[in-house]
Parts: sequence; C-alpha cells; structure tokens
Amino acid sequence: MQPRELTAASFVSYPTKGRAVAVEHLALLQNLPLSLLPLLLREVIAYDVRFPAEQRMLDDQFAYLASLPAEQRENLLHGFVAIEVTETLAAIDWVRQPRAFSEALTAHLWATHQMDAFRTAADAYAEAWRKAKPDREPPIPRLGIVLAGQGCDHSPHPIFRKLRPYGTYFPNVDPAKGLAILTEALEARAAKHREPYQHWYIDGGEPAMESAQVSVISYAELAPVRRAILKRMQEVINSGSGGPEALRTLLAEMRPEEIGLGSKSDATLAHFKTSILTEGSGTQIFSTTFAQWTAREALRRAQPVTMLVRFAPRQRQLPMNELLSGQHPTNETDPAGSLIDAEMGAYYTWINQQRLSGAEKGSFLAWFEGKNEAVAIGPALPRGVVSPSQVNLEKLLAMLG
Amino acid sequence: MRADQIDSREVARRIAWSRRDFLRSAAGVASAAPLFSFAPLRALAQLKNQKVVVVTFGGGARDEETFAPEGQENIPNMVKTLFPQSTFYAQVVNKGILGHYVATASLATGVYETFNNFATVPPDNPTVFEYFRKDRKRPLHDAWVVAPSNGFNHIGESGNRAYGEGLGAGVILPKHLLQAALPANGSIDYAHLLRDNYETPFYTPELAGSEVEMRQLEDVLKFSVSDFVHHAMSLSSPDELSVYIAKQLMRQMAPSLLWITLHDIDIAHSGTYSLYIDGIQRSDRLCLELWNAIESNPEYKGRTTMFILPDFGRDSDVDAGGNGFQHHRTGDPLSRTTWMMVLGPGVRQGVVIDRPVESVDLAPTIGARLGFSARFSKGTPLTEIA
Repeated sequence: MQPRELTAASFVSYPTKGRAVAVEHLALLQNLPLSLLPLLLREVIAYDVRFPAEQRMLDDQFAYLASLPAEQRENLLHGFVAIEVTETLAAIDWVRQPRAFSEALTAHLWATHQMDAFRTAADAYAEAWRKAKPDREPPIPRLGIVLAGQGCDHSPHPIFRKLRPYGTYFPNVDPAKGLAILTEALEARAAKHREPYQHWYIDGGEPAMESAQVSVISYAELAPVRRAILKRMQEVINSGSGGPEALRTLLAEMRPEEIGLGSKSDATLAHFKTSILTEGSGTQIFSTTFAQWTAREALRRAQPVTMLVRFAPRQRQLPMNELLSGQHPTNETDPAGSLIDAEMGAYYTWINQQRLSGAEKGSFLAWFEGKNEAVAIGPALPRGVVSPSQVNLEKLLAMLG
Repeated sequence: MRADQIDSREVARRIAWSRRDFLRSAAGVASAAPLFSFAPLRALAQLKNQKVVVVTFGGGARDEETFAPEGQENIPNMVKTLFPQSTFYAQVVNKGILGHYVATASLATGVYETFNNFATVPPDNPTVFEYFRKDRKRPLHDAWVVAPSNGFNHIGESGNRAYGEGLGAGVILPKHLLQAALPANGSIDYAHLLRDNYETPFYTPELAGSEVEMRQLEDVLKFSVSDFVHHAMSLSSPDELSVYIAKQLMRQMAPSLLWITLHDIDIAHSGTYSLYIDGIQRSDRLCLELWNAIESNPEYKGRTTMFILPDFGRDSDVDAGGNGFQHHRTGDPLSRTTWMMVLGPGVRQGVVIDRPVESVDLAPTIGARLGFSARFSKGTPLTEIA
C-alpha cells in the first residue's frame, strides 16, 4: 500500500482521538513519503494515551507540514523520498501496525547502508520544524534532582565527575532531613503549578512520597508487573521458538491490563509504565537502569518542569564462579556498583533535561544521598568550581532559584 | 549549553585528537607519517611461519571508556604495557551493520555483511579462515575461533561456494562446552551464565551441548570433563572461560590463525554502567594475559601478530536518538568509530596512525601477514604494519 491510497476508512481501527487526528490531516498524510509516514502514524495510533506534550508536538508537526507550500515541503522531505523502500516493506500493514513497519524499516536501512542517509534526512526535518515551531517555554524554570548512592558509604573516586564542569561542587553539605526537604520542594512546585504530568518522582526502590499532584513511579511498586512480564518472556523462551525478534514482538504487543496495570484511572500513565518495562532494556532486572530509563523517557515524552529521581541499590550481577558453585545468596545488592550506575544516570538525566526548551534557565542538583557532597547546576551558579560553603539542601535549592 | 547543540561529529573529532595527543605525550611515540616510504608488505613476505591472534571486543567499547584520557584508568594494561609495543590505529571506522555477530563476520570476511544479526547463518563471503586454509593448504586444526554462542557457531566458514564447507575454522563455543560438561539435571542454576544475548537480556538460545562439544573437550582441548568443570568454577566470567580455552588451544594445537571474540562488555545493554566498565577492565586484563601467553609459548613467541579491536563503538552520550553507552543503535560517528592495536614481530612500536581506516581492512591485512589473498574483501591492507 502507498500513502496516496489512504482514505478515512483506513483509520477505522484507531482510537477516537488518534482517528480524528489522522482524518483531519488525511490530505497531508497521502503526500508523505513511506519512509516517514508510518513513523508519524506510530504516534497517531497512540495519540489517545500520549502525554499532552507529545500530543502538542505531533499537532505542531502536522500544522507545520500542512502550512508549507507543496514545493517547499518536497524540498524538506527529499531526503526521506530518496530512501529506497522495497515492495516487501510497502506490503506490511503499516497503517494498523506502524511499529512493525518501523522495525522492518530499521533493519532494511542498516542492511542497505541507508542508515546514515536516513539520519541526515531526519535531522534536517527535525531542525526545520523545530525552528518553525519552537516548543513553548516552560511556565517555570525546570528543576531536576537526582539522589545517588543510597546504601553506599563512600565513592571510590571523586563523585559526579561528569557533572562538575557544568556547575558548582559542594563538599560540605549538611545531609540532615535532605530527602524530606527535596520531596517537600517537589510537592510545593506541583501544588503551585498544577498541570498534569509536569512533576515527577521516580524511585529505584520503595517510594518515599505519595502525592496527587506528582506522577510517582517506583521499582518496588511495579514488582508484580515485572514478574508478570518475565513470566511471559520465560514462557516464550521455554517454548523453544522464541528468538530475540519473537520476544521483542511479544513485549511490544503487551497491553497494561495484561500485566496487571489497570489503566482505567490513568490510562496515559499505565501505558507509560508498560512501555518502560517492555521497551527498556534492563529495566526489568536492574533498578538503576529502571530509574535512569524512566527519567529519560519521562523527560523526553512528558517534558516535566520538576523531576526528582532517587536511585536505589540494584541486585548484584552474579559472577560465573558463584553461579556454578550454587552458593550465591539471593537478593543481595551491589551498593558500590549502583553508585557508579547512578552517577552516570545523573549525568544522562541532566543531558536529557538540557534537551528541553528553557534549558538555559533550568537548574539541576545531584546529591550523594545522606552524604556531604552535591553538585548544583544553574544559571546563577559558577561552573567548574568548588564551594567550601556549609550548606544544607534547603539552601542549595534556594541557590538554584 | 543545550546538549543537542553539540555536533556529534565534532565530538568524535575532538575525542580522536585528544586521545592521539595524550597517547603521544604519554609514551613519547611518533606519528606514522615518516614511515610511509617503507615497504612493509615486501618485508612481510620474508617472514616465515607467521601466526596471527585476533581479539575482538564483541561488546563495542567507546573511546570515553577506553583510550580517551578519562577512560584510560579502565585499561591500564593496554595503556602501560601493550600500547608502547604496538602500532595503534586511532580511527577504525565500521560502515556496516552495528550488530555483534554480523559485525564480527564482516571483520572476518572483509566485506560488510548484511544478514540479520540474530540469524544463525554463515557469512555470505569467504572468511579469513577459508582464505588461509585454501591458499596455504592448511589443515583444519590450524585455524580456530573461540566465540560467544549467539549465532557465532557459523562464523568459521561462509556460504561461498568456492570456499565454505570443509575449508573453515574450527569453532569452539565455551558456553556450549560448559553446557555439555555440566550435569544435565544438577541443582546448579547456571541459566544466567548461559544467557548471552545482552540486547535481549532474557533470551537464552538453545544450546546444543552434545557429543561434538564432548569430543572437542577431549580430543582437541585434551581436558577431562571434571578438570574442565573444576577450572570453570574458579573463573568469574564467560570471557575468562574463553581465554582459558584459547590458551589451551594454543598449547595443544598451536593454530596459526586464532580468533577470540570477547563478549562480557555487552552487558552494557542492560543499562548498568558499572558492569560495562567491569567488562572493559576484564577485557584489558585478558588481553595482557593472552599476550603473555603468546610471549611465553615457543610456538608463538616472536612470530605472532596480535590484533586487538572492538567490533565498533557505542552510542554517544549526546545523541538524542540513543541512550549513551547502553546501545549501538544510532549509527552516529562515535558508535561507528573505534581503534585497533597491533603487536608483533616487525610491527613498529609506539606508533599512532592518525588516518581513518575501515574495519574491513583487517581481513586483507591478516592476509598480508599470513600469505593469503582475501580476494573478495572490500578492504585494503594496512601498509603501516611491518
């Protein structure tokens, strides 16, 4: 099937809002290249359970593309048009299964050495529509907070090395009531600026707070869901017919209700949690990966103004000799390794926050939980310096504004 | 600063330069430019009874965690001991598919193979093992591969009709050996150990622990089952098992062409940075261990060239399409660019080669070293190695 063959009836299986979006932009969709269209349809088909920021971005893209004169649009998309798409790919039911198409397209791009050309086309497209329709500034400057090192006594090397060049390192932090101060600050911002999915608390262990205004996700809370997913995966493996692709398909097709995530109260959040555990590699096994990936996806998709990520010790990876000896203790954690994971996770969380609008006004705090060390990054703080000041977490937050 | 304002190509260029500069200043080494007038391949032809050992990091390792200044703490053995004895290629570019089996096959054939990375199929083009055995009329026991089990069981010989069946390398899959040697209904939970596809962490391929593996244990490696299992229990990782087997192969068979693919680093796909670093540190230690084995074995000492290279890099921290070290999916310059270290007789020591070379250049370079023609390869012999 080719894009020009699309009709309103093509989208009859789409959920209500997604169908409305597709039908509204039908004429545009009919004129998009096949190497791009199904990727947009991946978003359209899930429109009903997307975050407001994602819906806004998709609306912006369609509005931008529709506003372009035909010749200008052709120029913009010529890189996609130049991508060779085979008849086999075109034969995939990319309207109803855009995800399957995109996976097949990815493999095709690699195999035919077109990946670089596709990247170039995608970069040019993204740059053009973002320049024409820049994302709105956040209502308040963004604030990201990461707590690393829970359960670890000391860092084997200078902590937060990758973040220090971008902010001020504080080696004399008073840790008293630190977690409470930070969660209260999160709640205060959420109470003052009430927008859905704009304030997040992500915990790699048991959550330290509950709040109606804050989107809360924790590794511990999702334990039954993780078990359900692993059970399904194991069934496929044990069947003897489950290669990596079969597993990937299985995971992609899982719906929240199948794995114990009731979606009636908040379908958007339920689908988000499902995607974290079914699309994120390692999120089902290691809590540090779970915390980092959840933060990454929440920033990318929901574009929150406040995010607090608290890493917890992950389970220990068992070395071969312990596995063979059969004498390994169960449920043992690796606090030292988890600290290293969390440091990198803090750095990646900052990078992902910096990708959002208003980055130059945003602030970021990384704290070695329960200890005296923190790095604070913000427009009012000098970069790459050490502050000998005695500060507590409240004062650090005040410095960040 | 916004992260997406950093051009990833610029990042790659900066890292490449800083790495080269650091290495030069640290070791007082020279640029390769004055060496180009030398005719190394003619000199190579005079070398007799050459052997080659190739070590690939089938987990993809980035500059940041290896030869960039901040990464060198992870590879002390390579920086301090191996690098000063080596010619170092600072930019090895992989223009093919960034999947470990297909990329390793591409290294072995000198052609960017395009098959499904997860399919258990042979490469389309002849491998260095086939070229070597056919051109040099060498027996099976003179070319061996020690590799992780996911798909690599076909890497020894291609589907090319002029080569292929009967002309390839013997392939040893250590995890298959272990599977064959361990009691079938024992109480040991070693499923985690046999898991080897880190891109899909819970996928454990069906292992054919069979008579073939038992024969390899007894006839090739000369291990008793009990000795093998006993020793395996003292090792902490699958890569250590691979190197243990490789060293035994060197002692028992002394193959002229030995290819070892390490894979522990690929735990990075699980998203745990600390375990990824552990894998790099272990690979560093194992490379020195292999070099020491070469230098202490009369069959190898003074006549063996060792190539060490990751099959490719991993995604950049700043590429929005990826998640940094965790994967190699973006195809960005950092994920495509890595390095190669070459040690051995006639190899210039402490030389850094600045010019970009391609990963498919490895096969014809091995050919020049061992005296065969990788005639279907798309690569070019690296003329600086002499």
